[in-house]
Amino acid sequence: MQRISIVRWFSKCGFSAAILLLACGAATAWFGNGLQLPATTTRDGTLITLNRYAREPIPDVALVGSSLAFRLKEEYFATPRLRNLALAGGSPVTGLEIIASQPRLPRIILVEANVLSRATDTSLVQRYSRGRDAEPVVFRPIRTAVAAYENWLHAPLSHSQASFGHTQLLKQPPSDFDSRIYVDRALQQMNEEDPTVTARVNVMRIEQLILAVEQSGARVRLFELPYSEQLEESRSAKITREIVHTKFPDPERWLQIDFPRKELRWADGVHLDERSAVIVTQSVDRTLSSLLEQR
Amino acid sequence: MTFTSWQFGIFGAIVFGAYYLPPLRTLQIQLLVIASLFFYGYGQPELLPLLAVAVFGTYLFLILALRNRQIWLPVGIAFNLALLAFFKYKFLFVETTGPGLTGVTPIDFLLKLPLPIGISFFVFHNISLLVDLTRQKSATPNLTSVFLYIIFFPQLVSGPITRAEMFMPQIKPKYFGDIPFIEAAKWILTGFFFKLYVANNLNEMTSYMDFPLYETLQTQDRWLLVFLYSYQIYADFFGYSAIAIGLALLFGYRLPVNFNIPYTSASFSEFWTRWHISLSSWLRTYLYIPLGGNRHGAFRTYLNVMIVMGLGGLWHGAGLSYLTWGLLHGSLLAIERPFLARLESIDSIVFRTARMSLVFVCVTMLWIFFKLPNFDHAISYLSGMFTSSTNPNPTKLFYNLALLYSLPVIIQHLVSRSLFEQRLRGAEPYLYGSMAALMYLEAGPETSFIYFQF
Repeated sequence: MQRISIVRWFSKCGFSAAILLLACGAATAWFGNGLQLPATTTRDGTLITLNRYAREPIPDVALVGSSLAFRLKEEYFATPRLRNLALAGGSPVTGLEIIASQPRLPRIILVEANVLSRATDTSLVQRYSRGRDAEPVVFRPIRTAVAAYENWLHAPLSHSQASFGHTQLLKQPPSDFDSRIYVDRALQQMNEEDPTVTARVNVMRIEQLILAVEQSGARVRLFELPYSEQLEESRSAKITREIVHTKFPDPERWLQIDFPRKELRWADGVHLDERSAVIVTQSVDRTLSSLLEQR
Repeated sequence: MTFTSWQFGIFGAIVFGAYYLPPLRTLQIQLLVIASLFFYGYGQPELLPLLAVAVFGTYLFLILALRNRQIWLPVGIAFNLALLAFFKYKFLFVETTGPGLTGVTPIDFLLKLPLPIGISFFVFHNISLLVDLTRQKSATPNLTSVFLYIIFFPQLVSGPITRAEMFMPQIKPKYFGDIPFIEAAKWILTGFFFKLYVANNLNEMTSYMDFPLYETLQTQDRWLLVFLYSYQIYADFFGYSAIAIGLALLFGYRLPVNFNIPYTSASFSEFWTRWHISLSSWLRTYLYIPLGGNRHGAFRTYLNVMIVMGLGGLWHGAGLSYLTWGLLHGSLLAIERPFLARLESIDSIVFRTARMSLVFVCVTMLWIFFKLPNFDHAISYLSGMFTSSTNPNPTKLFYNLALLYSLPVIIQHLVSRSLFEQRLRGAEPYLYGSMAALMYLEAGPETSFIYFQF
């Protein structure tokens, strides 16, 4: 009798588990994994960005970099069909490796060259390399429900709404946020850091990847984003700059961007604030339009 | 090897299968000892000799103390406390990452050993064994039984801290037909659900409490994250304890319940009868009462409370934050003590709810010292909760996600247990099945159990 009730208990338990799993599996097969899940960590944000790149048609322009370039949001750009694959906390080489591993390439690839002290994230590269399926078989029901709710509540702005918002932002004066405490800390870290070894490895790999993707028809331009004045002179920034410019001395290899430096502000001395990111993005846009016109 | 790894799944299945084979029935204890050694040494075999020293040493002092308790019991306790102190607090005095320390190879080897996982727990088992068996004047147990009590794998790494007088009588042949399968399954499923669904998902958000990430938070988010951490640490540790209890049941052993919905406590003394019960009762039995408890006047009682809570804090780690956490809990216990009887006499649901809320908020605020063992960081986080944030680029937290991941803890604490045990009894297997599916589908990124570090 007791054994029967044990079997019955486990059968009911297994049945309800199986029903839930099947329901989520069927829903995933039916609706796909297209919904952008809420990112609770920078890693989540990275996966969202890369999943979208793997799933959607190849853009005309792709941008890779670190958390510095991550601040140049896609909606700030006037250039259509542009994807920003910069990874917060990551290396530009990771993004470049992933792009290079895809069967089709964007016409122009922009590589941010400020932060080269981080190693390539090989697990991410493997996950998104050619032929691999980056999507989970069954979606996460709670996150998907929250994603649906968030998308319903905060529908993405249309291009005209976004550009109106940016115009309004640019009409405001630069931020007067006192970031001294963050700048001092960042300066201390960047003075302690010696990126020589990793940066040399990274620029060599960038050179190989540039060769590979340009043979397949893509064009690559490097670019540097501005730091605040104190951090431009930090040990890490100077060493990185020297290594990358020694390897790539040709000015044609670099994206020429011009911006009013006095208008720029940084949240922490390293990362541009929103208004400054819009200003820099506009100058990238101007250069990109002439690059895209060249065939 | 952690409970949430696939390696542990295979390990558990093999040991369980072999344990109840009729030809191996006479070797059940030996099998569990070997399995526990494998479990402990997996990935860190260099720590096995230390475990052996702790067990053999304790066994030797047990035999001696059974002959002459007055001399050998203190020596046995000192031996165990010295082990704990050496491994836990050596980092305060020695820079162990340097190339040459003393120049004496064996000493350097010991100094460079990492903190052995679970040492705080198995040392407390050893002391309990020495005190309980010598007090009862029991016959000398055999070495295998002592080994099993100390290193039984479900409780080895993070407890519950089982007292010898409770565990040792359970060491006898076990039969497959006696296994309380449903009860074990309920503990294990609940434990995994709280760990994988609640704790691991909340950990993603509470990682923003770490230095320097917390400086990107808005003031209200600092508050939110402290409460989320309060739920996380409960779900993490309750989850571990529940899995341990369920696993032990599968092998025929009943471990003590370690949590009893602690965030419904209406006083701080009640909280310590509901949170990490096995540690509280160990400290009360083997420290507070031997210190004199409340038998020597008000001043000595308060002093004893502060000593016990201060040492309880330091037991978690050698740091000012842990000491502060323990002493602040001691202070709260001391402050409420004179008023407790009067407070308990007020029979009002509103008043009790207000007391529960106050205790919950205080306990939650003190978790900051647990989350941030660097005292300066803890104070900086705390002060930021009372000043407005000016960061123009604050971290975005999803409040609805935070609520959904915290919900199991909230429901467990607020919904009457009788609702599940009586009215929803028929739906119980379906509920556990849904929890099993949800913990698979919605599991947060793998993180080790918080109490592994202790």
